[in-house]
Amino acid sequence: MITKEEMEHAKSVLGREPTETELGMLDVLWSEHCSYKSSKRWFYLFKTKGDRVALGIGEGAGLVDIGDGYLAGVAMESHNHPSQIDPYNGAATGVGGIIRDVISQGCKAVGLMNCLRFGHPSKPHNAYLLENVVRGISEYGNSVGIPVVGGELEFDASYDENCLVNVVCVGWVKPEEVVRSHAKTPGHHLVMFGSTTGRDGIAGVSFASETFSDEEEENRGAVQIGDPLSKKIVIDTLQELIEEKLLDGLQDFGGGGMTSAAGELARAGGTGVEIDLDKVPLREADMKPSEIVISESQERMLAIVAPEKLDRVLLLLEKNGTPYGVIGKVTNDGHYTAKWYGEVKARLPISLLVDGFPVPERVEGKIVVQTESMSWFNEPKDYKENLLKMLGSPNICDRSWVYSQYDQHVQSNTVVDIGENSGVLEFPNGRKLAFTSDCNSFWCLLDPQQGTANSACESLRNLVAMGATPIFIADCLNFGNPERPESYGQFVESVRGLGRFSNDFDIPIVGGNVSLYNEAEVDGEIKRINPTPQIMIAGIFEKGFTPIRRNLVSPWANIFLIGDTLTELNGSEYQLLTTGQVKGIPPKYKPEVEKRSMRVIQEAHQKGLIRSCNNVGRGGVAVALMKMALRSKYGFKLNLEYIPGTANSLAQRLYSETSGRYLAEVNESNQSEFLEIVEKHGASVCELGLTIKEPVADFGVFSLDMKEAREAFTNGLIQFME
Amino acid sequence: MTIAVLRFPGTNNENDILRALSSIEGANPVLVPSRKGLAGLEKADAIVIPGGFSYGDYLRAGAVASVETITEGVRDLAEDGKPIIGICNGFQILTEMGLLPGVLLPNKSARFVCKWVYLRVSGHSTVFTRGMEGSVIRLPIAHAEGNYHCDEDERESLNNEFRVPFRYCNEAGEVDIAHNPNGSIDNIAGIINQKGNILGLMPHPERASRQVLGSIDGITILENFVRAII
Repeated sequence: MITKEEMEHAKSVLGREPTETELGMLDVLWSEHCSYKSSKRWFYLFKTKGDRVALGIGEGAGLVDIGDGYLAGVAMESHNHPSQIDPYNGAATGVGGIIRDVISQGCKAVGLMNCLRFGHPSKPHNAYLLENVVRGISEYGNSVGIPVVGGELEFDASYDENCLVNVVCVGWVKPEEVVRSHAKTPGHHLVMFGSTTGRDGIAGVSFASETFSDEEEENRGAVQIGDPLSKKIVIDTLQELIEEKLLDGLQDFGGGGMTSAAGELARAGGTGVEIDLDKVPLREADMKPSEIVISESQERMLAIVAPEKLDRVLLLLEKNGTPYGVIGKVTNDGHYTAKWYGEVKARLPISLLVDGFPVPERVEGKIVVQTESMSWFNEPKDYKENLLKMLGSPNICDRSWVYSQYDQHVQSNTVVDIGENSGVLEFPNGRKLAFTSDCNSFWCLLDPQQGTANSACESLRNLVAMGATPIFIADCLNFGNPERPESYGQFVESVRGLGRFSNDFDIPIVGGNVSLYNEAEVDGEIKRINPTPQIMIAGIFEKGFTPIRRNLVSPWANIFLIGDTLTELNGSEYQLLTTGQVKGIPPKYKPEVEKRSMRVIQEAHQKGLIRSCNNVGRGGVAVALMKMALRSKYGFKLNLEYIPGTANSLAQRLYSETSGRYLAEVNESNQSEFLEIVEKHGASVCELGLTIKEPVADFGVFSLDMKEAREAFTNGLIQFME
Repeated sequence: MTIAVLRFPGTNNENDILRALSSIEGANPVLVPSRKGLAGLEKADAIVIPGGFSYGDYLRAGAVASVETITEGVRDLAEDGKPIIGICNGFQILTEMGLLPGVLLPNKSARFVCKWVYLRVSGHSTVFTRGMEGSVIRLPIAHAEGNYHCDEDERESLNNEFRVPFRYCNEAGEVDIAHNPNGSIDNIAGIINQKGNILGLMPHPERASRQVLGSIDGITILENFVRAII
């Protein structure tokens, strides 16, 4: 709800009490979700510009040049609070919302991703949330006909009361067909279409900007209901409107409903709007004007149409059978005026409504200092059993239970399915783009800045391993209540980490979203999620390059490990598995080391020297190797006695999560050329061993039959879901 | 040769089909929105009913689409012996219309399933499988209702009359229960009508139509379809 200070500010600017309708409008637009009032002040730390960037942060989607007269579009958003209350509809409308963001820029939507967080699936309620979130995403995305090309899933008890549903949509548009989100010309019409307006999602953003309490049931009305059939019709209709160049501005109805959509169009165009709320097509006849103006009913778009184009637009809307209304006009008075049968119900200056809130004071609390201590560390009693447990851990095991429910192939552009380091799509200019997202929330909890930067490095390595060059970032920053210093401190440190990464690696951030207040009161105690900055990065392949996968390709090839392996097991999956908790200083962010390894892999890929390649991440070298073998026909035979770095026991070598490392399968005949490249870039390297014909993972000291490993890997998640 | 590619509200594979057919010599695929009614099929020599979620699959997959006016035109062409393919939701619509026997029930898992599958092509030739007889092909599936079911008499005639061109199998071509992705009887992935001019199948040939997508096995089916018109 609007604070006392904000209320006073509004009164002093207006010189009067706000009306009921106005109060509702200010409440939603000044919510954290719409206003970014706690977060925006830090965005200057991000690298946002770049040669390829055609449209940066600020509108529905970021747009990036991918050559030959095409732009890629991207948007990323959270739908956390609604998904916790009503997982099916919450997740479905999250997908719906992110598609709207991308198509409202004129893009054709071609790919979806989702990044999910839940409490441990052994708790039935968490399994219920996962089951229904996945079903919501699946039924909505599949129906609309946009393939899911990537995603990410992590479990931790900190998400028990606050699951996270972050969604990404990517698309493409030709520069001349880009539609901007502004209303520049007074006298132009405001035309809304796509669906009718109902009572669902009333003030959803305000509810998303508060901490959960015991009154969850009351919030059910704040969750929107999706309608993929209407969305498909909106997409088809919009394509016709854009092809005929009939729109002078476009904005989707998202958080904040009509208040936000029309307000932002006017703000961007330096104009005002006058809306007749009685002309809005309604789903429920008895809605009050104060409800209509903030309803978040789904599948609605707001178009700016010049008078001479209005007839043609209405004809196309009529032909496609979509509900519509000509609800008002662009004005030159700098105000948002809302009328109800001629009576003025609200009249607010745009400058006050859109970002005229008083900037709240926020206190950055200190992060709890961790130690380097490894006193918790013990070698496992049984290496084989330990590795099987790692493979079956919910944070490592097979995710195909989730992604087999998503249509990954509709539109016939999918080059690489989910289950690899990145999903790959072919764009209409023939270029292939890879999409990946990562966040290790354990690292981010222990050190938000380093953890965030290192999570971004994992995303980077996912792309580089396949042979793609990273070109842009979108992020979704999920944190707790910013009014609490310790939580705000985590947020600010994390933004610093992402800022550092984007500048160090020169990759612009072109889209994103901030979701705060992800905490709950449990038995009088505040329980907050792990800091969860989701970092999605897209990469582009050189023309004609075939993406390199991680499955081992041939027997008798060398397996190389690039990069040093340090005693970095604090915050690791091994620590979690063997001690039940994470603590200590997590793996460090070392951009120069990371770059050296990256250049080795990039050059070796250019020269076609690598047959298969994997990023070393969660679970260390052991898990990375197993992932290369589990879905291939081959096994491997290794000797782990000599590995560069400080890790000095077998388990440390197997499970250290030091960043900047890759595994590469290189044929004997290419070995010397490969090693020359490693030397040239000054990276560390060692030959771990060979691929073999037998499906066996032989680590020297112990070995594992692939069938057994596959079983542990496959059952990790399914055991809780079937 | 004009091929009508039908689009009901909610159909979403029409562009994939148009693109795949356009790459085949002699094919002239045309998008026909269902609202055009019978007029939309006047010039059609063949029909594809693509996949998707016609009318949001509300009521039952394919049920609402199957009673639209344009389906009368589909029946006329079917009777004339013109080739017709229904893929995924299109297969569901053809069974709802009664042009193909049986029904497509919800998957045994009760969940949507998307993955690459192997199919054993029947050794008995059909117009859609010429040159592929007896082979093992690889196509993707993506459906929530692909569990083919029919009564015992129908099942017998389908088998006896060699009207099951595609069955789910493993990489080696063995038709086994472990590689049945949805619970369909006898691993049925696709069937034809008695006249042999109508094919319904759950897997998506259009999604295996270019090498970059991982398989070109699907384009052969579509090429046979185009050749059947000429």
